[in-house]
Formats: sequence, structure tokens, C-alpha cells
Amino acid sequence: MTAFEPGDRVRVRPANKPGHVRTPGYLKGKTGWVESVLGEFRNPEDLAYGLSGVPERPLYKVAFRQADLWDGYEGPADDLLYADVYEQWLEQDQGGVA
Amino acid sequence: MSHPHEEVRHQSSPYATRIRAIEALLLEKGILTEAEVQDRISYMEARSPANGAKLAARAWVDPRFKERLLSDTKAAARELGIDASGPVEFVVLENTPKVHNLIVCTLCSCYPRAILGRPPDWYKSFDYRSRAVREPRVVMREFGFEPPEDVEVAVHDSTADLRYMVLPMQPSGTEHMSEEELADLVTRDALIGVNVPQTPTTRSG
Amino acid sequence: MVHDLGGAPGGPVDKSQHEVEDWERLADAITIVLDIKGIKTTDEHRRAQESLPPEEYKRLSYYERWVAATETLLVEKGILTREEVDERSAEIEHRWGGA
Repeated sequence: MTAFEPGDRVRVRPANKPGHVRTPGYLKGKTGWVESVLGEFRNPEDLAYGLSGVPERPLYKVAFRQADLWDGYEGPADDLLYADVYEQWLEQDQGGVA
Repeated sequence: MSHPHEEVRHQSSPYATRIRAIEALLLEKGILTEAEVQDRISYMEARSPANGAKLAARAWVDPRFKERLLSDTKAAARELGIDASGPVEFVVLENTPKVHNLIVCTLCSCYPRAILGRPPDWYKSFDYRSRAVREPRVVMREFGFEPPEDVEVAVHDSTADLRYMVLPMQPSGTEHMSEEELADLVTRDALIGVNVPQTPTTRSG
Repeated sequence: MVHDLGGAPGGPVDKSQHEVEDWERLADAITIVLDIKGIKTTDEHRRAQESLPPEEYKRLSYYERWVAATETLLVEKGILTREEVDERSAEIEHRWGGA
């Protein structure tokens, strides 16, 4: 049971969560799309403190246009960046810039 | 080689002593055994980019193997006698005439160690971790590689527990080569994606 | 945080490679064996590195960070104390003039 499916446009939550997170700062607040569902995994933010990390949550391979991530990106508009992002860090993109 | 009068600083880090102290204490407390430590050292020494080169060469000559490599990397590795078992998953990213892949771990330098062994120092450097995502083409140029503008560069940041390795494209003009000869063309840097395998004619003598 | 490096300013990538030292092989092995035996996790190991004071994170080499993190976790889990490690380190230094 996943909240998102391949092709869904998603935004990375611009949250500032203290402690161990595996969502890089450069992706926060950025919009991309789900490339694939990678499976369900325990939460690294909890595992990092000796907690069980359950329930497992879906992990997604999310694609971003480099031009959307960086001002003055040095390369073609088609260049992409992929990151593996946990479901709790994603929200549905409410439309906006294509 | 060190001079006889030079202070022997080949182990210049205070952490060298620290880890030896930790080892001694852990052994005494029965937390781990010498055999376990030695086995693990041997495990890492046995792993190197040659494993990745073997996988790539086999994938080039055998399309069905390539499919298996892409769909279940651990199982495909096992076919060639490469033990990559363990909790992390491996994914092989295929370079095509349209897409060139580059791998990084910005947060901590994760790397497919169970297949390729230890990462090079440059992969772990702050400069690579910070710039590979921001300006991959500039970084690749530093490694002597410049994909054409009509080839998409896809950077993969290993942010979770999947480890990535690139399957480079087989260089043109190598169709006649044996699998072993092909493996010789596949460098560690090509498996990370900062450049591509060279054909023998383009490699400098 | 200082470890969150994606997009940070940086310079040309230094391609030089230092020869891996025995203590680094040891640091690698001990860290991973502790992981395999379920004494600590990769996630804890990452967190412990990230918790280093920023100046230390920047100053230490890759395996120095690993040693610091492993020690932090072993102390945190009550398996070793810093004092024990200090004492044994001093002993090793004294006996061998540095490991």
C-alpha cells in the first residue's frame, strides 16, 4: 500500500527535522516525480537511535530535473537527478510549474 | 621509504592507536573474536573493481545475463562467483546512447563495497560529494570525460540502503574481443560513472 | 548540517589516493563486524558521525570518523568506557611508541 505511484508528481517536504535524516537539504521543497517504488524499509531516522524503525514505509526513487534543483545549472535541461526518498518526506505536488 | 632518523609517522593518526585499543578491549570482553575481525579484513581485501569489470564484460557478451544483472544484481553476481550477500540491495544502472549515469552519496559516501571493495579517496571527498550533484558535467570533465549535450546525464544520490553501480556501454570496435579482454577495459571510474571505458586504440600507450 | 554536502561549494576533485593503512583496515573490519553481530547499525554509525562537532567532521579523515563514531557508539551502549579506551591507548603508545 503506497501513497504514490510511478509518474506521480511529488514535492519533498521542506521540513527541518533535527537529528539523523536521509533526505538531503538540497532536495527539500523541490518537486520531481516518482520513478519507481523501491519497496518498504524501516525508518532510518529511528534506527539511528536504536529504535525499531517499524512500521516499514515505502521508499521511492524520485527523479528531479537538475534545472529545477539548481540556479544556473550547467548542463542541458534534460539532465536529471535521482534520489531514494522515504514516503514520509514526500507530499503530493499541488500542480504548478510543469 | 622513511629515513632511519625520521620520526616514524606512517601511522600518523591518533585514531590508529584508538582503534587498536578498542580492538584489544573488545577481544578481551569477548564481544568479538580475532577470527571474525580477520575474516572481515580478508572479505574486503578480496573485493575490488575487477568484480564489476567481470560483471560488465559478461553483460556485454550475454544479453540474457545483462537482463539478470539489471533485475537481480546479487543473484547475477553469484553466478560469477561474486558473493555480494548482505542486507543492502544493489542496483546496476545501464548506460545507453541516450543516458549516462553517475553515482554519488552526498551524505556519507555509500558505495557498493560488497562488489567493488573500498571506494577511492576522491569518491569520499567533500568536493565530489558536494559537486557531483550540482555540476556533474564539470566534474566528469575533470576526469577527462565529456558526454555530448544530447546525452542525458543522470546523477544518482545513494540516500537510502540501495547501492548503485554503473554498467558502462561497450566501446565501439570491441565486438571481436574476448570477455577477459573486455573486462580489462572496464575501470573502477567507469563503474562509478565519472568516465567511460576506453577502447585500446584510445588508451594512451 | 556539515555532512549534508550536496550542492555545497567545492573545489576540483583531488584524485590522489593514499595507501590504505592497517589501522584503517582494522577500523573498517571492526565497524562492520559490530554491525553484522547486531551490536550497532549502519544508521547509528552514520548518526554518530553526523553528531561530531562540525570542525571535527571536516578535519578527520574518512576512517578517523569511523573510529570516532564506533567509539561513541560502544560507549553509548555501555560496552566500553572512554576511560578504558584512553588507558589502553596510552598503554599501546607507551609500549610501542604509537601503534
